Amino acid sequence: MKMKKWISVALTAAMVGSMMVTALPVQAEEPVEITWMFWDDLEATTDTTSLGYADVINRFNTEYEGQYHVTPITTNLEEYDGKLNALIAAGDTPDLYICNPGPNMDVYVEAGAAADLTDILTNQEADWYATFTDGIFDRMTYDGKIMGIPTCFQAACVFYNTELFEQAGVEVPTTYDELLTVCQTLQDAGITPISCSAGTAWCLSMIAGYLCDRQGADLEAIANHEANWTDDVFVQAATKLQELSKYFQPTAAGDSNDQATAAFYNEEAAMLVQGSWVIGQMNGASDTIEDKCGVFQFPAIEGGADPNRTIVKTDNLLMSSTTEHQDAVIALMKMFTDETAQKYMAEVAGKFPINKNVEIDYDVAPAQLKYVQDIMAQATGTLGFYNESLDSVEAGDCFDNAMVDVFLGNAEPLDALQTVQDFYESNVWE
Amino acid sequence: MNNHKTKAKKPISPVLIVIYILLVLLAVLYIAPLLWMLSVSLKDNPELMAAPFSLPKAFNWVNYAEAWTLGKLGIALLNSVFVCGVTLLVSLFFGSMAAFAIGRMRWKFSEAMGTFFLIGMMVPVHCILIPLFVRFSHMGLTNSRFGLMLPYITFSLPMTIFLMTGFFKSIPGELFESAAIDGCGIYRCFFQIALPLARTGFFVSGLMTFINNWNELLLAMVFISDPLKKTLPVTLTYFVGPYATNYVQMFAAIIIAIAPTVIVYCIFSNQIVEGLTTGAVKG
Amino acid sequence: MDKILRNKKAICIFIAPALIMFVLILIIPMFQMIYYSFCDYAALTPPSFVGLKNYQNLFFKDKTFRIALKNSMFFMVFSAVTQQVIGLLLAVLLTNIPKGRNVFKNIYYLPCVLSSAALGLLWAFLFNPRIGINQLLAKFGIEGPLWLMDSKGFIVLPMWVIAFVALWQYVGQNMMLYMAQITGISKEVYEASYIDGATKPKAFRYITLPLVKPMMVTSLSLNCIGSLKFFDLVYNMTQGGPNHRTEVLATELYAEGFNYFKYGYASAISVILLVFCLIVTLLVKRVIKVETYEG
Repeated sequence: MKMKKWISVALTAAMVGSMMVTALPVQAEEPVEITWMFWDDLEATTDTTSLGYADVINRFNTEYEGQYHVTPITTNLEEYDGKLNALIAAGDTPDLYICNPGPNMDVYVEAGAAADLTDILTNQEADWYATFTDGIFDRMTYDGKIMGIPTCFQAACVFYNTELFEQAGVEVPTTYDELLTVCQTLQDAGITPISCSAGTAWCLSMIAGYLCDRQGADLEAIANHEANWTDDVFVQAATKLQELSKYFQPTAAGDSNDQATAAFYNEEAAMLVQGSWVIGQMNGASDTIEDKCGVFQFPAIEGGADPNRTIVKTDNLLMSSTTEHQDAVIALMKMFTDETAQKYMAEVAGKFPINKNVEIDYDVAPAQLKYVQDIMAQATGTLGFYNESLDSVEAGDCFDNAMVDVFLGNAEPLDALQTVQDFYESNVWE
Repeated sequence: MNNHKTKAKKPISPVLIVIYILLVLLAVLYIAPLLWMLSVSLKDNPELMAAPFSLPKAFNWVNYAEAWTLGKLGIALLNSVFVCGVTLLVSLFFGSMAAFAIGRMRWKFSEAMGTFFLIGMMVPVHCILIPLFVRFSHMGLTNSRFGLMLPYITFSLPMTIFLMTGFFKSIPGELFESAAIDGCGIYRCFFQIALPLARTGFFVSGLMTFINNWNELLLAMVFISDPLKKTLPVTLTYFVGPYATNYVQMFAAIIIAIAPTVIVYCIFSNQIVEGLTTGAVKG
Repeated sequence: MDKILRNKKAICIFIAPALIMFVLILIIPMFQMIYYSFCDYAALTPPSFVGLKNYQNLFFKDKTFRIALKNSMFFMVFSAVTQQVIGLLLAVLLTNIPKGRNVFKNIYYLPCVLSSAALGLLWAFLFNPRIGINQLLAKFGIEGPLWLMDSKGFIVLPMWVIAFVALWQYVGQNMMLYMAQITGISKEVYEASYIDGATKPKAFRYITLPLVKPMMVTSLSLNCIGSLKFFDLVYNMTQGGPNHRTEVLATELYAEGFNYFKYGYASAISVILLVFCLIVTLLVKRVIKVETYEG
């Protein structure tokens, strides 16, 4: 009995104590409370992007003290959709929530959980709208309505180690055939040519996506069933993936994304195909990589499509369609996209600003940011990550898995693609 | 005659030595991965990648300190103790009451009722999560520790009832009969005879359900949003980021999270063992 | 005595609290789940009734479901056999050794008190080709296989690996249950048998085995239900990959419900899982009971 009492006293003390800490800046009038849902903890995280968002939240709560207050609801990435679904199903949609582009966003938009921002952006807040990079809203527009705003913009490129390239006496390849020669030369020199993770399927799928696009695949035709997954373009691309995978590090099949990236910044491998978020990650982990790491556009395939298209991805914020505090939510969205936040995104996290007024200080920013920026300047078009460009999250996974099977040698390219074809026939094209 | 006493004094047989060698090898298989986890939790991330199996070059106790503060493990630990403790007491009490009625008392549907409760163990929690959450949300029970306890208690009931029924059934019937002759009512039979005699059962089912709740992630993650109310398994996920994972701190946090269960287990297991050995078979 | 045990009011009082909670929090949502299994339901929008479509798709179209079913069955049979046999064996050995019983018992039971999720991460680490046991094997000149990615054979290697880890983690539980039962058998029974000239194996066959049978029902039922619902280790070690080859029923329904927003479809899988669990439990009860009567 005594023990129990003691525990309950200790518990109460702890609860009260912790509540006091958060309740200290009490205001006379209650500020408007809003919630923002995110897929990483804001305090324990070491991810530079998450830290940037944490900073936005703090700035918001300080600047609008007494007027607005935002409380983040965080989960880990894996349970994010589960919790968000539960909240929406219960009618407790967070006022603002983060979302991946593509089919994931489609789900929330189609369910009516996201507010139409068109009027807010184009009329009420035209000045704000004008700060966004041109064309950035294309992938967030549904039937002419803008349903989300981006917080950053990332591009996938080939990162390479200039020192290892020199050592093997090779130059940056501009075509796929040159890439194969470079890989072979590197391998002959005892250097692992490419670091890639097939354990994390989307890493492999990024290379596959580039190969498909360079080969000339048209996803719109696929969506409308004017083309088939078993068409020659896809078979060619998958065959090239098979070819290229001979030059991956020996443990590629089991390595996680972290490990494949580490193999590159620890200078065990000469090339890494990754999104630009890796810039912040690798410079944080290695002091020496910044001077040695160059970037080039994924090579062209002769006889294929336009070689200057780049795979890009945005993080998006969706506003709840049922929020009662639009003003507060808009103020928060503005803070996510203001110059301070966007400058941090670029200079620390290695992600591109979506605010065109931001002037990046390239002396502060990692060198690679500039290289990627130069590639983007040449880009003639963009495409989404393949698994985020297909018709559903499941279709994206289906494609990723087919590519993993090709890589592992479990299926010939045509057979693997047949499984994607089957999936489309029974689920998408019905 | 080969009686017990002379047997004990016999020199150790080769069979016994072989058995001991096997048991020790098996014990190594159990201990080694856990020791490895301990060693990893004291390294830093680059060292983990470079030399995973060596002993840590320097003991980075700072991993534990950082895991403790960043993961807010202190408050999470209190929440877990509170939620799981209350759940344990309530589910054992309700569960053993129902189990007594099912296993010991005589009525038509006792068997059917036992099977009915068993269904609870077969329902995948993932699929009742949304209906449950929606209902709790309407009742204002989400984001509260009490709201988390209710499903925990309920999910612990089937296992508790299932195991306790077996234990109550194994209590000799004569004990109740003589008590009844002494004028004991049904409630005294339950509280004064059945409950004390089923101590081992309480330990076994209590331990099993407590561990399940202590490690439960999905409900805790979905039901609780307030960082001050989160339980340990939820805070452990803080260290897995969307693009990169902080392994060493994660393992440090895991060790902090499992330490209480191991300690509680050690304390209780020794007490129970006292009770068990009296009836133990000695060779 | 009989009258006391038939006290209806007491039965109600004893059953009521558990039953009310159970029905409100578990059974009603379960019926909702069964209803959803006949619906197209994305959790975000109200369900729309589609009849047997989900079940038709499951049985006639879904290749992943077939893999999941196969893996779950394999996993259940493997776990039931190995965990029962090894668990009982350990229990008998430990009750018969003169020293160190508690130490060994505690060590073997230890993984049971730890979280499967954490242990899954730990083992995934140990089977990782770059930092795991393959590095140790390489020192002896052996090239280890891709423990968690290999995908050849009817039951793929990662499934065996996961089954092994599950055996490692949960065999202690069966051992404990059996030990509780064996230590409950009175010492005199054994001593009498030794006096009659029985050897230890004989005592095991004719005394221990029949007496632990009730516990066998308990432990086997727990085992089978547990392995059919198995989720944590698979989710944390392979996430059902590569290409769904290690998918089990629970991981598939999770992916369908939470990753692909097909909550109705996931509910249909849950219903099938529930039915399997029921069948297996009833089967276990039936089979072992019949034997008891014969013995």
